[in-house]
Amino acid sequence: MSQFDTDASPEALRVAVLSWLDTHWDSENRRPLTEPTYERRHWRQQVLEAGLAVPSWPSEWFGLGMTSAQCKVIEKAFAERNAPGTGLDRYHLGAITVFKAGSDALKHEMLPELLTGPICCLLYSEPNAGSDLAGIRTRAERDGEQYVINGQKVWTSNAREADYGMLLARTDWDAPKHRGITFFLFPMKQPGVEIRPINQITGESEFNEIFIENAVVPERFMIGNLNEGWGSFQTAIAYERLIMGQGITGRRRNSATRSRPPLLELAEKTHKLNDPVIRQRLAQALAYREVNNLNNERAMTEMMTKGSMSLMSLSKLAMSRIQHGEAAIATDLLGPEALLDGPDNSDAANTNFDAAKAYMNSIGGGTDQIQRNIIAEKVLGLPKEHEPDKGIAFREVKSGTGPRTTG
Amino acid sequence: MSTIQESEREEIREALVRFLRAEAGEERLRECMQRDRGYDDAVWRQLADMGLLGITISEAYGGIGGSTLDAAMVAAELGRSLLPVPFIETCVIAPALIESSDVAEKMGEVLSSIAQGTATIAIGGNATLAPYRDATCTLKIEDSNRISGEVSLVMHGAHADYLLLAIDSESQTRCFMVSADTEYAVEEQTANDPALRPATIRLNCARGIELTGLKPDDLERVRLQGVATLSALQTGAMRAMFEITVDYLKTRYQFGRPIGSFQALKHIAADLFLEVESATSAAHAAANALASADSLAARSVALAGFICNDAFRDVSAQAIQLHGGIAYTREHVAHLYWRRARATLSMLGDSNTHREAYLSTWETAA
Repeated sequence: MSQFDTDASPEALRVAVLSWLDTHWDSENRRPLTEPTYERRHWRQQVLEAGLAVPSWPSEWFGLGMTSAQCKVIEKAFAERNAPGTGLDRYHLGAITVFKAGSDALKHEMLPELLTGPICCLLYSEPNAGSDLAGIRTRAERDGEQYVINGQKVWTSNAREADYGMLLARTDWDAPKHRGITFFLFPMKQPGVEIRPINQITGESEFNEIFIENAVVPERFMIGNLNEGWGSFQTAIAYERLIMGQGITGRRRNSATRSRPPLLELAEKTHKLNDPVIRQRLAQALAYREVNNLNNERAMTEMMTKGSMSLMSLSKLAMSRIQHGEAAIATDLLGPEALLDGPDNSDAANTNFDAAKAYMNSIGGGTDQIQRNIIAEKVLGLPKEHEPDKGIAFREVKSGTGPRTTG
Repeated sequence: MSTIQESEREEIREALVRFLRAEAGEERLRECMQRDRGYDDAVWRQLADMGLLGITISEAYGGIGGSTLDAAMVAAELGRSLLPVPFIETCVIAPALIESSDVAEKMGEVLSSIAQGTATIAIGGNATLAPYRDATCTLKIEDSNRISGEVSLVMHGAHADYLLLAIDSESQTRCFMVSADTEYAVEEQTANDPALRPATIRLNCARGIELTGLKPDDLERVRLQGVATLSALQTGAMRAMFEITVDYLKTRYQFGRPIGSFQALKHIAADLFLEVESATSAAHAAANALASADSLAARSVALAGFICNDAFRDVSAQAIQLHGGIAYTREHVAHLYWRRARATLSMLGDSNTHREAYLSTWETAA
């Protein structure tokens, strides 16, 4: 029997979690009370054993069977004590996918490990499978008790640090595209896995290309059934989109509504705060941010009270017009100065960075256009467009990359 | 705060939805557009029987003492049905002004008549709280509360039981009630929306009763209540038009498939859905801020003001485009929503004015 009662009032739960933290966590020095320094694996192990790592999961699977409202209470209590380690049932994509789609054997073997130590990366997109992700061409071929993997993946963050990759690979080339894919928990630290960082338009290199040549994955690391990986993957991607749209909201609401926004400061600094055209654009930009916060609050309430997810789908699309729009105004505020860059020109450098970084939201995790398809089809119930590759063997499907040079 | 609980509000809303479906469908609406008032007076009295016309009026004067949240709930459903009744003027702005004034008790009978559905009020003038502000209005306040001059854009001016004239005079706003028994001339104006009934009023030393004791804060609060209620009305209307459009996209076939399967159209639908939901969130936040006397209510209302204006305009305009030729006919309902959207764009302040007000609230933020 757990010390955290699902029937307890929110306040009683908060007190119980705080008292657990106070006997295990040194909030001042941000380390476990029993250890001289913070070590992720050790602390996570303690949180996991208490059921607090994944509180919404049932007690037979490392959790406490808490509702999402109760999980919020737990997260708040952790935040009060500056303690990490809870909410993995919302953020740990690898563990969530294994929990939702994996066999009991895989869950028993891998969840305790995934939830305490290893980092997972996502091996989804390929150069020829972006928006049309089900068009992947990385192949997995059976060889005794293991599968041999060959292919190329792209847009993988944390690849260098990762111990495992959530891998989508093709296992049947004669089935239609969605029905020949299998999902694997792929060990990253092995020969035949080459990682090359991508130089991004922001100057960052958070993403990588992964070249896989005759690398192997044990059959028991298959997530879900052979050729049914697309369904398991849907579980994973739904969480990713949710996190992308939400990430920035909620916690910031108070400061966002009470204090002066940075764009206003820039308008003042550039002596354009009295320009009536700029004023209209500033108001519209601030409004888009505020209505997105309001939409997210409503989305949360609707999800809690009615279980409705329809509003959730809007946030990522709304964030694109916010980020691109704000960068456009900042560029106009700076005028010719915006062509400069570098540490000597920090306003210009920040603005140019933001203008480029906005594509991260409007392309990453599904482009705005894909997101509009999803809203129109899944929320509004509009019919799917004609799909020429539907129902035909994947090896017959046409493919092409498009040119990549100037002029 | 409202005297009405959230669960009660939902019950009232459901009853109102049932009533409007039965009594104010499109056919009835079109038939009533031909009549003098543009709406059926019996429907107005039935709204009174349901207690909805006194929804913001104090219980002491025969109302039910609700807040802006309650008025917004009613307005959203009226907007959905396109019923062209003077709800915002008669049931939100006028009662709030009267109750904030020193003459509330003296005007108690007017308030209870509003709640009973036996009195409607038309509002005109050059003050910002006049729903359709007439900048060219020549109204002058003469000695002993006599009013002379001309004012246009007075909605339902020809049929109202009282005129409420909101006049900016010597850097203050003064409000007067003029009974329809008083002698003044009325000339109806032609409206683009066939259901609306604007009028020009000419007064010559007509006797008014001043709503004395109104402070600038009172006037501003009432204006905000009006804008928040209008925003809710717009969200109801735009959602109805949006739902009709999505249904059309699912059922209209061209090239052997539903036109809603074309990405060119479904992407517009997805964008409009974002507009409708954003407007709904903004309108709700505005009404809620007023009902809970939030110190940032002016910001929330300004936000709802332009977000809802623009969204209603865009949703109804795109609704015609997405329907194609069928919505270019008067038989189709789309143009009625489109005309109503265009008619509300300048009601209680246009979008640019709201945006400017919204930005100002951020400038003063710490």
